[in-house]
Amino acid sequence: MTLTPSPAPDAGEGVSVAPRAFPTSKGGLCHKGWTSGSVLRAPDRITEPLVRNAAGDLEPTTWEHALSMIAGTVRSIQAEHGRDAIGVFGGGGLTNEKAYQLGKFTRTVLRTKHIDYNGRFCMSSAAAASNRAFGIDRGMPFRLDDLAGTGAVLLLGSNVADTMPPFVQHLAGVRERGGLIVVDPRRSATAALTDPVAAGEGGLHLQPLPGTDQTLLLGLLHLVVADGLTDEEYLAARTTGWDEVRRSVSLWWPSRVAATTGVPEEQLRRTAALLAAASPSRGGRGAMILSGRGSEQHTDGTDTVTAAINLALALGLPGRPASGYGCLTGQGNGQGGREHGQKADQLPGYRMIDDPAARAHVAGVWGVDPDSLPGKGVPAVQLLGKLGGEVKALFVHGANVLVSAPDATAVRRRLEQLDLLVVCDFVPSETALLADVVLPVTQWAEEEGTMTNLEGRVLRRRKAIDPPGQARSELEILADLARALGSQVHFDTEPSLVFDELARASAGGKADYSGLSHAVLDAEDSTRGHYWPAPAGSGGTPRLFARRFAHPDGRARMVAVSPGAPEDDLRRDAPVYLVTGRVLAQYQSGAQTRRVEALNAVAPAAFVELHPHLARLHQIDDGDDVAVTSVRGTAIARARITGTIRPDTVFMPFHWPGDGMANAVTNDATDPVSGMPEFKVCAVSIARADLFVPAQVEVLV
Amino acid sequence: MVVVGAGMVGHRFVDELVRGDVAGRFEIELVGAEEYEPYNRILLSEVLAGRADLRALGLPLPPQERVTFWRGVAADSIDPASRQVLLSDGSRRDYDHLVLATGARAFVPPLPGLESAPKHVHVLRTLDDTRNIAARAMNAKHAVVLGGGLLGLEAACGLRRRGVPVTVVDLDTHLMATQLDQAPARMLAAQLRSLGVDVVTGTSVVEVISAYDEIVAVRLTDERLLAADLMLVSCGIRAESALAADAGITVERGIVVDEDLRTSQDRVYAIGDCAQPPSGTTGLLAPGWRQAEQLVASFLGRDELDPSGVGDERPEPVKLKAAGVDLVTMGVRASQACDHDRVLSVSDGGARRHVDLVVRDGELVGVTVLGFPEVSAALTLAYDRRTPLPADPLALLVPGGSSGAVEETPSPMRMPGSTTVCRCTGVTKKQIVTAWEQGAATVDAVAGATRATTGCGGCKEVVCGLVDWLNASDPGTAAESDSGPVSTAVTERNIPVRTTT
Ligand SMILES: Cc1cc2nc3c(=O)[nH]c(=O)nc-3n(C[C@H](O)[C@H](O)[C@H](O)COP(=O)(O)OP(=O)(O)OC[C@H]3O[C@@H](n4cnc5c(N)ncnc54)[C@H](O)[C@@H]3O)c2cc1C
Ligand code: SF4
Repeated sequence: MTLTPSPAPDAGEGVSVAPRAFPTSKGGLCHKGWTSGSVLRAPDRITEPLVRNAAGDLEPTTWEHALSMIAGTVRSIQAEHGRDAIGVFGGGGLTNEKAYQLGKFTRTVLRTKHIDYNGRFCMSSAAAASNRAFGIDRGMPFRLDDLAGTGAVLLLGSNVADTMPPFVQHLAGVRERGGLIVVDPRRSATAALTDPVAAGEGGLHLQPLPGTDQTLLLGLLHLVVADGLTDEEYLAARTTGWDEVRRSVSLWWPSRVAATTGVPEEQLRRTAALLAAASPSRGGRGAMILSGRGSEQHTDGTDTVTAAINLALALGLPGRPASGYGCLTGQGNGQGGREHGQKADQLPGYRMIDDPAARAHVAGVWGVDPDSLPGKGVPAVQLLGKLGGEVKALFVHGANVLVSAPDATAVRRRLEQLDLLVVCDFVPSETALLADVVLPVTQWAEEEGTMTNLEGRVLRRRKAIDPPGQARSELEILADLARALGSQVHFDTEPSLVFDELARASAGGKADYSGLSHAVLDAEDSTRGHYWPAPAGSGGTPRLFARRFAHPDGRARMVAVSPGAPEDDLRRDAPVYLVTGRVLAQYQSGAQTRRVEALNAVAPAAFVELHPHLARLHQIDDGDDVAVTSVRGTAIARARITGTIRPDTVFMPFHWPGDGMANAVTNDATDPVSGMPEFKVCAVSIARADLFVPAQVEVLV
Repeated sequence: MVVVGAGMVGHRFVDELVRGDVAGRFEIELVGAEEYEPYNRILLSEVLAGRADLRALGLPLPPQERVTFWRGVAADSIDPASRQVLLSDGSRRDYDHLVLATGARAFVPPLPGLESAPKHVHVLRTLDDTRNIAARAMNAKHAVVLGGGLLGLEAACGLRRRGVPVTVVDLDTHLMATQLDQAPARMLAAQLRSLGVDVVTGTSVVEVISAYDEIVAVRLTDERLLAADLMLVSCGIRAESALAADAGITVERGIVVDEDLRTSQDRVYAIGDCAQPPSGTTGLLAPGWRQAEQLVASFLGRDELDPSGVGDERPEPVKLKAAGVDLVTMGVRASQACDHDRVLSVSDGGARRHVDLVVRDGELVGVTVLGFPEVSAALTLAYDRRTPLPADPLALLVPGGSSGAVEETPSPMRMPGSTTVCRCTGVTKKQIVTAWEQGAATVDAVAGATRATTGCGGCKEVVCGLVDWLNASDPGTAAESDSGPVSTAVTERNIPVRTTT
């Protein structure tokens, strides 16, 4: 988008926003984009540091006082409990520069192993599966605009029409060709794209029981094998493990899969046929399998993505034109955020922290002893689980864990037990309101930096206006804190210099940025773009895998997987599934979007979407308050009755705190490989709120 | 741990045990009489029908480092006293635990004419059987399938798909008598006939007639002669229990086991088609798999959790796997329903469609669906997972009851003003009308004024329609019209008029 510093109708006195022709968005902006200017001047924007006083209220203070207070407390906590007693929770919304600096600060100044970020809730299952299969993890290994030319797209658990509206334009071609297949338990806005379109036949909507995506994929692979549609030449030349994978799907014959998923056999057969017909090996224009959170946020999420990748490989897709597997991200910098060191086990450049060579390289750039770097930490949910126990203090950057983490009630309890909670935010999010120290930071239009989008394309963020009041960039805050904590490590505060250092640290790693700089990016021609890996002198890599995969033997690794049941599964007293997700006009925990009038007008509050059958069974009318209860907690929100959802499933968006907080109900069980929590399915009971009898809660004194 | 039988259930048992026994406590030996790598028997009917590639059959191989697999070797006898199994290759294997998963074989009734074992009379149980039948089908002119059960019908449809005329002969008054009531069975027969599979019920084969060692015809109870150069006998199965019986283990219809799957002999267990648990035998896979899981759990000292958490087991859904026939049946049949059950039946002869639903105390306890694939998967799931039912079970018969009616894009004229036209930017019809009234006469101008169409662009058509409609409602601009300037108003017919200034 193009920003103009000016008073604008939606933006108060910040900037006005206009779309710009760009390959990713094709010049589209959604409601959130149009109104984003007003977040800059949210009436309750934090403009000065706040510290909790003796009375327990947050009161304004000076930067000096806030930082020295933090430094003092951190020192004494570490003296008493050790370095790992400090935790850092980052965000997928931070620029690459900030994410990099946060990781460096954690590893060299705090020297704690306890860092992770909310991107864990985003792409971690897809990342783990991609690394396992391809040896590299870039959301999409091809360009987004490659979608335009493809013949079939299997979209798993992703409601892009709501989460990334401009993306839908890329699907126009495939819709006309009748090749769009959407898998979603709800007839979401995206699923509705499979309706016949004026210009063509639309596609197919598969509506499986929540938690059965993997079974569905295994069933599709079974059909591809049974119908002799595999690309055996490709499999022999470019993969390992095919024999075991082929055998592993033998037991997923169509009628068994239909009975498990609720998807009619006929639709399974049509899907397999559509994908195969579009595969380049069979003369098609290309086929893509794309996954989103709906299929990934499960305790078997990594294996589900692996099943999707196996299907893609069996059809010979990855590395072929307009074909392959990709993951859709809904977070601005979910991709870049994990490449530069916010993830518990990673150093910049997507290097593994337990790899001695990686440690030596990065420590060299940072000017520290490799042995001084901490080891592997734990994934987000486990990190939150340690609060108040092993971890006594937490820094939160660009995350609102109180609303966005699963089993949020337990998270609040743990946050309250901390000795020190420092939150960097630009608005008083629910998490910030609980903090001991709140530091006001700059946001998008107020800073320079870069983000890496879902295609691995590095984008510049440019400053249009000055931040209000005393707000400062995290880059300055981290440098100041490092000094206050007596560290000798050098921290640049100038974004372009931080990027240069990041580029050096990433050199030779998987996500190699060493050929990039702000200057190079500023000179870019937007139709071309800079995609990592971009080693010095390379100009970047828009498409991966044409010749080899990133494992040492150049082959993709196929791994046999088997579906697990939801950790919190249907029972007599919890006979309905809850799935959660986003609505168009809000974003993540809503800390930003809930502050925009125009967005609240469209999406004012949480709701419970349920099928008329289920509603009638519980005597619920449209608009009644409905209590949705799991073993962890209850959320109460308005009923929205619609025939577009399965009768055995209810849906809640997760943007709101308070009574309607969906994450009070969700399960914090995690995927053993990726650490992804099972946001997308848990067993609940429902009742009209006035008939709802809360279970006896044991009060612990 | 010695497992005899590498079929569907023996394989599953070994797979579960290897997965669960991470500590490697058990030394596992698997003895399987068939020459082949373990394969998915259930898919044989699909292979016979030419609907599945042989490569789809192979099951995961037991990991070599954990399992010694004696392939193509049969267990000849058991010596419980010395805890040894004697194999057909002459070797003896010691066991601490012996699991029998020897499955079943097809039952062939003693028909006159079969003693001489004429050629081209087959059963369908193994990969070899399937290959032989498929080979014969290439030249066969007319096939007879004796037995109108699940397997017989799948095979009949498969042969028909290979182009062979087929007649199914069943002694019962109707097809699939174990699973179906009369009415759906009659509809099923009609559907089969429409596919070219002839059905003769209430009669049986009394004699197999052959010439030069090859079958040429069969004689039916009613003296009718049916020409046949291929015959498939599908009259049920008999447990493969001789091995156990010879070792003095109690055998009735199968190897008798208690609730914990123990046979009468210490340290010997039986699972799958060869076993006869207190709940009876089914000849279906799912109960065998559950037994395998249960036995592994007990070996590993895990409490057998009920994974579904819903308590009492229900009879398995049975699905006919044949192209052109969609039939699923499970649980209580309409004819078995009690007085207070709600029974819904739809019999739609013209479309050869039949549905029986039995709802008891708010739960779906019986389903028979023929010829209605749009609802059969959803109904199976509702039965299996016991998901909440609609207050009126009739709604279950509406296909897409789960997906709901597709909301049509309303016509620009009839949609209410509050309708959101551009979802991405939250612009309503009213806002667009207002923009038009204020002079935005083209889609681009409306987009400029309201931002509609600037997100995904999906609403362009509707906005276009709206603008066209507005322009049409105001032919010529108001300035040229006779009536002179009018104020902005929404008339009764909901047609706005542009203000001219
Ligand atoms: C064509 C066909 C379609 C079917 N379709 C369905 C269906 O749709 N749904 C369903 O639920 N069920 C179906 N069944 C039934 C299902 O296949 C059986 O229930 C299942 O195979 C039972 O498994 P099992 O391991 O107990 O026996 P089997 O699979 O029969 O395996 C037993 C194995 O043990 C071996 N063996 C026997 N004796 C010895 C010995 N002494 N030493 C060594 N090895 C020995 C045998 O060679 C055999 O390989 C179908 C069966 C067939 C034939
Ligand atoms: S929220 Fe997403 S889709 Fe909407 S304008 Fe911003 S980046 Fe584009």
